[in-house]
Amino acid sequence: MELSRRSILTTLAAGAAALATDRAFAEAGDLQSIYEAAKKEGQVTWYSGFLNQTICADIGNAFSQKYPGITVNATKTTSQVAFQRLLQDMKGGRIESDIFSSTDLSHMAFLQKKSLLIHFDPPNAKGIVPALRDLDPKGDYYPGWLGVGAIGYNTSKLSAAEAPQDWSDLTDPKWKDKETFGSPIYSGVVGNWTVALTKLYGWDFFKKLNALNPLIGRSFDDSITVLNSGERLVGLANIAAVARTAAKGNPLAVNYPTSGTLVVPSATAIIAGCKSPNAAKLFLDFACGPEYSKILAENFEVPLRGDVAPPKGIKSLSDVKTLTPTLQDVETMLPDTKSKWKDTFS
Amino acid sequence: MEGYVQLSATRSARAATGGSARRWAPQPSAVILVAAFAALVFLIVVPAGKLLVASLQNGDTGAWTFGNYVEAYNSALRLRALGTSLMYASSVTVLSTLFAVPVAWGIARTDMPGKALIRPLILGAFITPSYLGSIGWILLAGPNAGWLNKVFMAVTGAPSGFANIYTFAGLVWVTALYGFPYIFVFTTDALERVSSEMEEAANILGASGLRTIFRITLPLVTPAILGGAIVVFLDTVALFGTPAILALPARIHVLTLELWGFFQFPLQAEVAAAYAIPLVLITVGLFTLQRRVLGRRSYVSLTGKGGSRELQQLGAWRWVVFGYAFFLVAMAVILPYLALAQAAFSQAWGRGFSLSNLTLANFRLLLIEDPTARETILHSFTYSGATAFVAVALALAVAYVVQRRLVGRWGGLLGMLCMLPLVVPGIVLAIGFYSAWAPPPVALYGTATILVLGFTSRFLPIAYSSCLAAVRALNPEMEEAVRILGGGRLRAISRVVVPLLKTSLVGAWLLVFIPATRELSTAIFLVSAHTRVISVMMLDLSENGSFEALAALGFFLLGVTILIVATGYKLVGRDFLLRRG
Repeated sequence: MELSRRSILTTLAAGAAALATDRAFAEAGDLQSIYEAAKKEGQVTWYSGFLNQTICADIGNAFSQKYPGITVNATKTTSQVAFQRLLQDMKGGRIESDIFSSTDLSHMAFLQKKSLLIHFDPPNAKGIVPALRDLDPKGDYYPGWLGVGAIGYNTSKLSAAEAPQDWSDLTDPKWKDKETFGSPIYSGVVGNWTVALTKLYGWDFFKKLNALNPLIGRSFDDSITVLNSGERLVGLANIAAVARTAAKGNPLAVNYPTSGTLVVPSATAIIAGCKSPNAAKLFLDFACGPEYSKILAENFEVPLRGDVAPPKGIKSLSDVKTLTPTLQDVETMLPDTKSKWKDTFS
Repeated sequence: MEGYVQLSATRSARAATGGSARRWAPQPSAVILVAAFAALVFLIVVPAGKLLVASLQNGDTGAWTFGNYVEAYNSALRLRALGTSLMYASSVTVLSTLFAVPVAWGIARTDMPGKALIRPLILGAFITPSYLGSIGWILLAGPNAGWLNKVFMAVTGAPSGFANIYTFAGLVWVTALYGFPYIFVFTTDALERVSSEMEEAANILGASGLRTIFRITLPLVTPAILGGAIVVFLDTVALFGTPAILALPARIHVLTLELWGFFQFPLQAEVAAAYAIPLVLITVGLFTLQRRVLGRRSYVSLTGKGGSRELQQLGAWRWVVFGYAFFLVAMAVILPYLALAQAAFSQAWGRGFSLSNLTLANFRLLLIEDPTARETILHSFTYSGATAFVAVALALAVAYVVQRRLVGRWGGLLGMLCMLPLVVPGIVLAIGFYSAWAPPPVALYGTATILVLGFTSRFLPIAYSSCLAAVRALNPEMEEAVRILGGGRLRAISRVVVPLLKTSLVGAWLLVFIPATRELSTAIFLVSAHTRVISVMMLDLSENGSFEALAALGFFLLGVTILIVATGYKLVGRDFLLRRG
């Protein structure tokens, strides 16, 4: 394994050349001609760090139904693994994934800086909610999933009124030994949360949390299990997981914090030098379209488009105040936040 | 027994002279030797070499550097994490030995009742993925809502529970409960081969029962206990699942958790490699220690004469031994699965137990409705089965070569190579596998083969330790007999060694098969859309909050494993000694 990025740079040259022709193609803007070219490619490979394999497969099937003759090979792992695999593929000189999706926007920023993404303006992107449409002002990557965090609580132990109404309520001593959340060291969404709350309340907020002996898990989703079992009563929770779990009858619900519900966008992009650039463009357009968002909503995830209704039990993001740290904030503040986290919570 | 060393000396002398006298032709055994060596190079040396090279290169420029090592170890927190990991692994090893050895002895050497119940349940503990076992124990011993604590509080009226799983002790406890089966399988296998003649001799000479156990029985199976203990130790150092669930909340930093930090952005895979490579020294150290302990003594227990094996009559004490064994399987399997059952058979597990909440829908979803789930389960079992066959065949070849000293000093190196992959955490090892085998010229990207190779390499250490302990117990005189009668070495192996070690080999097969079905960290790196395995699916389910389906899957795995174990032992029949006895 050569982890040096030399051969990435070699790939870069090829990618840059491809980029120029791709631009011209996109400007022609004709999805039909892209589809004709994509049919010759026959398939598109998707490395996804979000959703799960079943949902990814559903999306792939829906895509193939809309565009017969093109199959989707979706491999869902984790964002770290998907990114590491992508870099290894580039090292090995054979790019396997046409489409790359990650919960960590830093991955996209890294690839963009090295010109390893193919620019494409999907016509469907116009339907994405305005706040997310320009996730990347240059239009090299597009939102593919939203990590939405609110205050989850166990409804068999607490009423909505008793549960915290805002993030700042979490520092109330009455929640001693009753709170849970993930760790920014292991979870990008939790990392965004710590950055957002540091901006709101300063680091003291987390020192106060630590005094309450919270249960610190690894991922954004770890809180669901301990909240459901009643081991802990309140915490940062993924609203999609809460809605999904509650729909079966489990005693879970969320309060949308008054100072803002955490919304962390994840992105999807086309990898330069991939084998099926045309199929990849079609797929990216599809991911910005209504069918994709409908599949998200069916699976209790927040849709990316205004014309797709949010799933049952989840408020539309246009009805709640949202909290999204900028990529720049995350890149400048997160490393420091992580080391403070290690100090405070060790 | 001490005569074995002299015997082997004369034998190698004879082999040397005899070999030169005969006309040289490519012996089948020589071909196997070369093939085994080539396999080890492909499976271990190349991926590990890739890691080593990466650890010595600058990530951006590719220039040679020790910077990654400095970066990896120039942190008090990380050094402490390394220390904690060693402490953690040592504690787990000691506790696992205390769990495993008495029960193994009870099952193999005594008239303890209930063996047919205990043995499959112990392997049931083994199949339990660490994620599931840990969650089961959170449900049991979580300080606020754990069942055991609730019962304790209700009975005693105490204001708080007695157990907190989110502690170092809790972490060690849970890890040992799911790790001890390694030592159990090794030790039972060895104990079942020891004939009782020596124990009887000790008894006749007036030694008490306990004295016989500690002076005769246990020393005879030291290589097996030690082999199992080493596997547990290495496995624990590299374990991620249980620490991720229990150590993090307990604010305990172990090495594997620190390693994950390197895979966050900015990605520092080279530093991760540098952090992991020195762990190989632990393997070398343990190996040296093992050699010291075993010394040049012989542990031959399986001779051609069959020998008799009487089960020790324990009288009333047999219930004590059974009680201990039952306590163990209750802790590892019965109680956690009772807690998980509440989820597996519920529509909504958070609602608690009620008749209206009961359902089989979670099982139906897994086994009937979801076609990808069925495929995934099938993949796991076929890949793990194939892995176990390849690993045991290779391990037996190497163990034989090493133990019969066919390649002189190279044997030590071969053995060491076989042991390396276990201690390197899966996430790091996986990078080595992926970069060695996925791209051309090997070009196994997206195939089932790459998963089988990855699992084989990862679990070869277990197969090897197991085969080594087995071959060590085998008296070479029987193979000698074949060769004196004109048979080749290959014939001696296929007609004498394999049949004699049948049960050991089945044991080794299971020891690889089971962890392969639950392996996550290398699998997630090597899977593709069409080669998914159960562990990756479990990760999906857990991230998805589908705990009901996850628990159902756990139950299904437990059931299937118990079935496979029962069938496996039935197929090989009773072992050599028992048949005679």
